Amino acid sequence: MTVARPGSHPSPKRKRGSGSAPTVEALAGASGSDRSAARAEARGSSWNPNIIVFACNWCSYAGADTAGVSRVQHQPHFRMIRVMCSGRIQPGFVLRAFEKGADGVLVSGCHIGDCHYVFGNERALEQFEKTKNIVKLLGLEEGRLRLEWISAAEGARFAEVINEFTDQVRALGPSPLANSDQLSAVSYQRSAKAARLRAES
Amino acid sequence: MDVGRHPLIEVVTNAEVIGCEGEAGSFHVRVRKNPRYVREDICVACGQCVDVCPQVGGNEFDVGLKTRKAIYRPFPQSVPAAYVIDHEACLNLLGGLSEKQRQRFEKIQKLKQRKRPDYRRNVLVCGHCAKACEVNAIDFDMEPEEFELDAGAILVAVGFQEFDARKLGNYGYGRFPNVVTSLEFERMLNASGVTRGHVVRPTDMKTPKRIVFIQCVGARGEGGRPYCSRFCCMNAVKDSMLVRQHDPEVEEVTILYTDLRAFGKGFDDFVQRSRDEKSAEYVRGRPAKVELVPEDDTLEVFVEDTLGHRQKRIPADLVVLSVAAAPNDGAIKLAEMLGIETDEYGFIARLDPAISAVESTREGIFVCGSAVGPQVIPDAVAQASAVAARAQSFLVGHRVEETEEAVESLDLSGSPRVGVLVCHCGTNIAGVLDIDDLVRHAATIPDVIVAQDNLFACSENGQDELVNLIREHKLNRVVVAACTPRTHEPVFREACAQIGFNPYLLEMVNIRDQCSWVHSKQPIEALEKARTLIRMGVARARHLEPLQAGEAPMTRAALVIGGGIGGIQAATDLAEQGFPVTLVEKTERLGGRLTAPNLKHLYPNMRPAAEVLEQKLERLKKSGARVLPRTEVENITGFVGSFEATLRIGESTIETISIGAIILAIGADLYDPTGEYGYGELPNVVTSQELERAFFEDEEATEEIRITQSAIRNAKSASFILCVGSRDPRGFSGCSRYCCPTAVKQAIELHRRGIDTTIFYRDIRTISTGAEEMYRQARGMGVLFVRIPPGEKPEIVGDERAEAVRCFDDLLGRGLEIPTDLVILSVGMRPRQPDTRKFHDILKASLGLDGFFLELHPELAPVETAVEGVFLAGTIQGPKDIVDTVAQASAAAAKASVFLAYEKVRLDPAVSVVDEEKCRACGQCVEICQFHAPQLIEIAPGTYTARINAALCKGCGTCTSWCPCGAITSKHFTDRQVYAMIDAFFAEEPVS
Repeated sequence: MTVARPGSHPSPKRKRGSGSAPTVEALAGASGSDRSAARAEARGSSWNPNIIVFACNWCSYAGADTAGVSRVQHQPHFRMIRVMCSGRIQPGFVLRAFEKGADGVLVSGCHIGDCHYVFGNERALEQFEKTKNIVKLLGLEEGRLRLEWISAAEGARFAEVINEFTDQVRALGPSPLANSDQLSAVSYQRSAKAARLRAES
Repeated sequence: MDVGRHPLIEVVTNAEVIGCEGEAGSFHVRVRKNPRYVREDICVACGQCVDVCPQVGGNEFDVGLKTRKAIYRPFPQSVPAAYVIDHEACLNLLGGLSEKQRQRFEKIQKLKQRKRPDYRRNVLVCGHCAKACEVNAIDFDMEPEEFELDAGAILVAVGFQEFDARKLGNYGYGRFPNVVTSLEFERMLNASGVTRGHVVRPTDMKTPKRIVFIQCVGARGEGGRPYCSRFCCMNAVKDSMLVRQHDPEVEEVTILYTDLRAFGKGFDDFVQRSRDEKSAEYVRGRPAKVELVPEDDTLEVFVEDTLGHRQKRIPADLVVLSVAAAPNDGAIKLAEMLGIETDEYGFIARLDPAISAVESTREGIFVCGSAVGPQVIPDAVAQASAVAARAQSFLVGHRVEETEEAVESLDLSGSPRVGVLVCHCGTNIAGVLDIDDLVRHAATIPDVIVAQDNLFACSENGQDELVNLIREHKLNRVVVAACTPRTHEPVFREACAQIGFNPYLLEMVNIRDQCSWVHSKQPIEALEKARTLIRMGVARARHLEPLQAGEAPMTRAALVIGGGIGGIQAATDLAEQGFPVTLVEKTERLGGRLTAPNLKHLYPNMRPAAEVLEQKLERLKKSGARVLPRTEVENITGFVGSFEATLRIGESTIETISIGAIILAIGADLYDPTGEYGYGELPNVVTSQELERAFFEDEEATEEIRITQSAIRNAKSASFILCVGSRDPRGFSGCSRYCCPTAVKQAIELHRRGIDTTIFYRDIRTISTGAEEMYRQARGMGVLFVRIPPGEKPEIVGDERAEAVRCFDDLLGRGLEIPTDLVILSVGMRPRQPDTRKFHDILKASLGLDGFFLELHPELAPVETAVEGVFLAGTIQGPKDIVDTVAQASAAAAKASVFLAYEKVRLDPAVSVVDEEKCRACGQCVEICQFHAPQLIEIAPGTYTARINAALCKGCGTCTSWCPCGAITSKHFTDRQVYAMIDAFFAEEPVS
C-alpha cells in the first residue's frame, strides 16, 4: 500500500511548542483537586504510564533486541531512544521527557567496566545523580527515574527491568507534571482508540 | 556479528575440512559443507518455521537444560543469522522417525521410484516449516557440498570441549540431578539463560540454600589429565559473587580448591573482593566423594580440609563441578588432515612451547585459543590477533585495497521531504501489527510525502523500492520501520549510498525486535507503540543532517619502542608484512631479559635462551626492520596516521621520523627486595634473577656473582620464597605469573646439583603449557613445597648469613624451621620506571591502578590503548611470561597493521564538534575524554578554545552532555534530534 501526498505541504501547527525552555507551567496548569482526582482515577488498573527509555547502542539497546530475538514478552508502555553511549544522556533529555508528560524515565547503559567508550557510563552515572536531584526539586517522586545497567546478552533482564519499572510507575500514577490537558487529550484519545480497536477485533 | 558483516570474511558453517594439500603460501583445503536445509542467503531469520515445527530436541547451547525445535537457531546472536535443521530430529530428513516408520517410508519411496524413474523425494512427511516460510528458504534437497579453498595460511581455532564429569563417578554427576557442571550453572545464572538468571535445584526447581563448588574436576591429575585448566578458579569466584548478588536466599557458597590460581591482571583483587564480601567460604581440599542424603534429597560432600586439618562433611543443596577443558574430539583428526602434531593430551601442539605462542609444527599453519590448551579469554583474544599477524606474512601481495566508486550525490537540500517504508518482515511484524494502519498513520505525519509497505524491506526488492521512492518523490529523508538498526542500518545505508543519497539521512524504527516480537500478546498496545515509534523516527529524521566521511592521511610505517623479546616479535611481524618498521632500543643490545647472562634456560622444555634469541634476531634481520640500538625516544606528537617521533640516536644525533602507528614494548622492572628477608645484608640471600645469572660460568662475572656461584657450589640446601613483591596489598596486589614456573625450573636445576630444595609458596600457579607437569616432576624428585598462609611472611634466621627459614606451615598446621644455605627470593614485576611514566606523559595512554599501562578492554581489546594507533606488547601491560609476551607482541602487530593496510584513515563523520564561539575553554571535555580527542588550542594570543580531533573522536557524545556551555554538538545525535523524538512521543496524534 502506498499513501502519497502531492507536493510538499506546510507542517500543521502543533498545539504545544516543540522547542521551548523547560517550564513547570504544567504544574500550575490544573488545580490541585483536579489533578489528584485525575491521578486517583488513573491509578486504577486501566491506566498505563508513558515511559521513555534512553539506551546506549552497544549494551542496553542491544539487550532489548536480544529480548526480541528470544521473544521475551514485556509491557509495551515504553518508548526507546537510542544514543551511542549512556554518557550522552544529559539531564536535559530526562527533564524534557518529564516536562512533556512522561510518567517515568529509565536511563540505561553498559555495566560499569564494560563501556564501549571506556568510562562513558561512569559519566552517565554522575549525570544521573545530578538529574535525580533536579527531579526531586521539581517535586517528582524518586521512583519515576531509574538507572539500570543492562548488557547486550541480558534480554530477559531487560524485560524484567521494564516490567518492574512499568509497575512501579503505574503504582505512582500519572506524573503531576503531565497536565490535565495532556491527560485528557492523549490518554483519553488512546484509551478510546484502544477500546474502539478492541471492539472491532 | 562483526565477523558476519565483514566484507572480507566468508563464514562457512556446518563444514569440515576433509583434506589439505600444498604448502605455506599456497594451501589447497578441501571442505565439505554439510547441508543446513535452509538457504542462508534467503533466510531472513524470522522464525516462523519454529512455531510450526512439531519436533522437539535438547538445546545444545543451553547444555540440554532447555528444548529447541528440529529447525532452530543455535542461539540468538548466531552467525549467519539463518535457521538450521537438525537432520537427526527432522521428520522429513527421517532422523526423527522411529526405525519402523523409517522402513515404511523408505519402502513407499522405493515403490514410487520404481514406478516413475524421475521421481524425487517430493512427498514430505511433515513440511510444515516449508509451508510457513514465506521466502521459500527451506530446501530439503540440499546435499553435502564439497569445494576447495586456496589459502596462504591456515588458522586453527577449534577450542575445547568440556571434560566429561561422568568419568569421575565419585562426584555423582549423572547419578544425582543436583550435581551440575559449571557450564550448566553458568547457563542458569545467565539472565537470558534457561532459568532467566535464577539458580535452581534441578530436582525441585527451588533456590538452593547451600552451594558447593568443586574445583579441578578432570584437571591437575584427575581423570588422567595433569594440566591446569586455567579459567575454572576465577569462574567459580565470579559465579559465587553473582549468585550471592542475585539470590539473597542462597545462604552459603563453599569453594573447594587446591590452589587459587588468580594469575591474570586484576584477578587477585577480584578474589580479595570476594573474600571481603564473604561471597564464598574457601576450603582447601579435594573431595573424596559426593553422596546423596535420601531423607531430604540433599547432598553431602566428603572432603578433608587440608588447612583446617580435619575431615568434613559439607551439606549442600547444589554441587557445581568446575569441569576442566578437554581437547576437542575432532582435533586429532583435523591435525592429521592438516599435517600438524598434537600433544600427549590431544591438544594441537605448538612448535616450541617455550617461545612460539601461535605456531603449529607446520609452517603456515597457526593455532590459537584453547585449541592448544585451556586459556582465559584475554589470552585467547591476544593469541587470536597474533595468528592474524603471523598469517599476514604469508599473504603479502594479496592484500585487498579498498576501492570506492564515486557516485554523484543527489540534491537533498530544501525543507524535509520524508518517505516512510514499513516492513512486514513476512508475518513477523505484520502478524502482530496492522501494517496498513501504520502506513496510513505515517502518511499523516507532518513532512511525510509518501508512506509505503513492503514484504521484506531488506530483500533486494525492498531495497529497490526504497531507492525508487527516493527518486520518484524527490525525498531527502527516509524512515525505514522494520527491525533493529544494529543489524540492518548498514544494509539500508549501503542502498542509499549507492544512488548518492547521503546515508546519514536514513532513520530506522525498530518495530520488530522491540515491538512486534516482544508485545505479540498485546497487539493493540503494540500497534500504539509502533505508531509512536514511527512518529518519533520521522521527528528525528526531519532534523537529520547529511554528513560526509572525512579522511586523514596514513603514514604506512610503524615505530616499535623497546628491543626485548616483545619488541623484536612485533617489529618482525610488521616488517614481514612489508611495512617499514623502526625498532628503537635504549641499550646497545637487543633481547632484553633473554640476553646472556640473564636467562639460561626457558621453561618448560629447557631450551637455551641464547639459542632462541638468536633465531628471533635472525628473523628480525631478514625481515628488513630498521634497528636503532642506543636510541631514546625524546618526544612524540600527532595522532593516528601521522605521528612524528623525535629520536636521539647515540649521544648526539637527533632524527625525526613519521609513523602511522606505535607499539610500546618497554617491558617491566623486577622488584627490588632490599630490606626484606635480609636481602642486601645477608650474603646468601639472592633474587631469582641473580641466581639465574650465577648459572652462567663466565669471565665477566662480578665479585657478588662469584660469591653466589660459590654459595651454590657449597650449598647443601636452598630455599625459594615466592611472591616477593607480588600479591602484596601494600605494593603490587597482582600476581606476577612468571615466578612460580621459574622457581620450579630453578629448583629442579638446583636439585640436580645435589642441593635439597624447599619452595615456600602461597598458591602454586603453574598455569602455562607444560608448567604443571614441571611442578609434578619437581615434587616427584623430592623438591619440598611448604605452603604459607596468606598475609604471613617466612622469617630468615641468622645474623651474618641466612641459616634457616622459619615459617608456619599451613598444611601441617605448625611452625617449621628449615635450615638453608641459600635463600632465593622470587621477585615479581613492577612497571618499568621512569619509562612508563615518560611514555604515559608523552602519549597520554592511561595507566591502571597497578601502574602498568591500561588496555582498552581486558577481553575485547587486550593490546589496544584508548589512544588510537598506540598498542601494547608484553609486560608493559602487566606481568607475563615469554610465550604470552610473544603472543601479545604479534597481536599488537596485527592491530597496527589494520591501520597500516590502508593509505588513508576513514573518519566517521558522526563525531562531536565544538562551537568555538560558545566554548569558554574550561577544559572539562579534555579531562573526561578517554581518547584525547578534544584539545585546548590558542586561537588568538591569550584566547583558547577546545577543538575536537575527528581522527580521535569515537562519537560517544559524553563531552556533549558534559559541556557546561552547550558548545559541543554530537553529530547524528544532536540535542535537537533527541528533543524532537521526546516531543513527538507526547504530541497529539495527527487526526487520521
